[in-house]
Amino acid sequence: MLSIKNLHASVEGKEILKGINLEIKAGEVHAIMGPNGSGKSTLAQVLAGNDAFEVTSGSVTMNDEDLLEKETEERARDGVFLAFQYPVEIPGVSNLQFMRTSVNAMRHHRGEPEMNAAEFMKLAREISKQVDLDPAFLKRGVNEGFSGGEKKRNEIMQALMLQPKLAILDETDSGLDIDALKVVSDGVNALRAEDRAILMVTHYQRLLDHIVPDFVHVLADGKIVKSGGRELALELEDRGYAWLGIKDDETAASSALSNSAN
Amino acid sequence: MKPAPTLLSTAFLHPAGQALPEPLLALRKQRGAALVDMPMPTRKTENWKYSSKYLKLTDEMATSLPATGKTGSALAVPGYKVVFINGVVMPEASEYPDLDNIRIQRFGDLSDAEASELVERLDSTLDAKAVQFAGLNTARFEDGLVIRLKPDAVLDQPLFIIHEVTADSSGSAFPRIFVDAGRNSQLTLVEEYISSGQEAVFVNSVTEFTLAEGANVTNIRLSMGGENVQHIGATGVTQQRSSRFESHCVGFGGPLRRHDLRVRLEGKGAECKLNGVVVTQSTQHYDNHTTIEHVAPNCDSEETYRNIAADKSHAVFNGRIHIHPDAQKSNANMSNKNLLLSTGAEIDTKPELEIYADDVKCAHGATIGQLDEESLFYLVSRGIGRREANVLLTMAFINELVAQIPVEAVRDTVQARLNQFFDQTFQEA
Repeated sequence: MLSIKNLHASVEGKEILKGINLEIKAGEVHAIMGPNGSGKSTLAQVLAGNDAFEVTSGSVTMNDEDLLEKETEERARDGVFLAFQYPVEIPGVSNLQFMRTSVNAMRHHRGEPEMNAAEFMKLAREISKQVDLDPAFLKRGVNEGFSGGEKKRNEIMQALMLQPKLAILDETDSGLDIDALKVVSDGVNALRAEDRAILMVTHYQRLLDHIVPDFVHVLADGKIVKSGGRELALELEDRGYAWLGIKDDETAASSALSNSAN
Repeated sequence: MKPAPTLLSTAFLHPAGQALPEPLLALRKQRGAALVDMPMPTRKTENWKYSSKYLKLTDEMATSLPATGKTGSALAVPGYKVVFINGVVMPEASEYPDLDNIRIQRFGDLSDAEASELVERLDSTLDAKAVQFAGLNTARFEDGLVIRLKPDAVLDQPLFIIHEVTADSSGSAFPRIFVDAGRNSQLTLVEEYISSGQEAVFVNSVTEFTLAEGANVTNIRLSMGGENVQHIGATGVTQQRSSRFESHCVGFGGPLRRHDLRVRLEGKGAECKLNGVVVTQSTQHYDNHTTIEHVAPNCDSEETYRNIAADKSHAVFNGRIHIHPDAQKSNANMSNKNLLLSTGAEIDTKPELEIYADDVKCAHGATIGQLDEESLFYLVSRGIGRREANVLLTMAFINELVAQIPVEAVRDTVQARLNQFFDQTFQEA
């Protein structure tokens, strides 16, 4: 479904992604792990089309179509969904208006009739229960005054409403207490489907206790340095990133020093 | 040597028709004589600093426009209606009740005694020094409307005043309204300024409200004239004890748009709420100057103004709150937020607080910004088109104020004009 080849990207002239290669098939759940600053969030943003990031080389195709050529909204209509690490607050636009506009933009793209207010409310209420959000939140401004956990649940709610082909979850577990983590994980597990791929970006392996990935990749300094199955995450948990030679510069420097001392 | 200031052309000091009671004619003449050496504002005139360059009056525009013409106001309004054409009331196009406790009369229909009484009160709400052009209106009005509510009178529906200027030739119009709201009376007055025709015209309007104890008046003012209309308007309000005045001013830009709104809280416990929305585009201009005088103690004022400027347009906000020495326990809040939709647009904002009492609560804030890139990205990442995302975010900036306009038909009119603005301002990527 998604094919990333030798992807390089920079922000303000600084290269962050230095040649990412990744193949994701429909039905699979992939987790990307890595230390802070390794480029995990950049990858998520680039896939969603944030033009603050410049793709300098490489390609990304989704279902054999060039993804990078498309505008953010076109990618979304083709089924790319990014659950934001830091969802934006937009006072003055209600969650209801926002989600209904979004759902109808997708429907319009598929040539389906718009969902009327009553149908939409019914769906929104059902899904808000699924992620344990009080339906009263629908009338409030988008994410306005939401706690960190509520914002993350709202992201998952949107994914459930929009039923994307590719769901990218950027640090969806950060800032969640154990109960909220359970709710969010249940939501993500409900998204798992034969025709859907999920790409999770996370710093910690605890999310993977709840959402069991098919593949785990370790990102360091803009490259995938190791890929494996679920056990790779457990190994990282036990041994830390240093085990993979990450923070390579420091290790190399100290060993060079000890060599010269000898 | 200082160069002599440019004076208002004397061509502007000649009213046309004389179909007014003698006391009003005398007042008009007296005001006209006082304006013979009225200096035109320049950029050195403090309260015209940003706007004087837009004021371009020519002698061709001095003549009063004819008080005829078909009324474009097939406008269906959900309430009572008075139509002004070029500053003159059109009784045949108007529809309002004739009640003992609510008198709605044209200046021309007043008896000499009634006119004398009115003369005593005209201009009482506006400081002629600060609002120079209000005096010009008094020197020039051809007609006007006086609305008098006796104590406890309640007008059961909004009264719409349609101010149409028919710009088929160059000229000017001087619409005038005086509202005398008696003790505990209630009124909702909607003013719509519109235009037809393409010639360059000048509109100089004044609306005054005097609120007796416990009166409750809501004023909605829509400024929607064309690109050929220079409009200088003033609204003056005086409030006695425990009265309440609510104002909703929505303005769309033009070659020159100026509105002075002055409220004096003269009686203990009076309160006012002033909301304003301004939208400008292309090379349009709009300037709001508001002043709230807290004269008496225990009064509340709340002011919320939002400007949106697109293209190369220019919006100005000057909000002044003046707390007099006796006005203890005053509560005053002023917020002005501004949204620039292009790098070529300009907004100048100046909140001013003058406080001479020590036990008061006053707050003011002003911001200028652009649409937030992160918010835009969030919206488009959900499949919402760029145009719609821009519209949602721009609308979010003024939603609250539009929603507070208490007459649905006016909200619809405003939304329709906003949609037109969005169509012209935001294109699909």
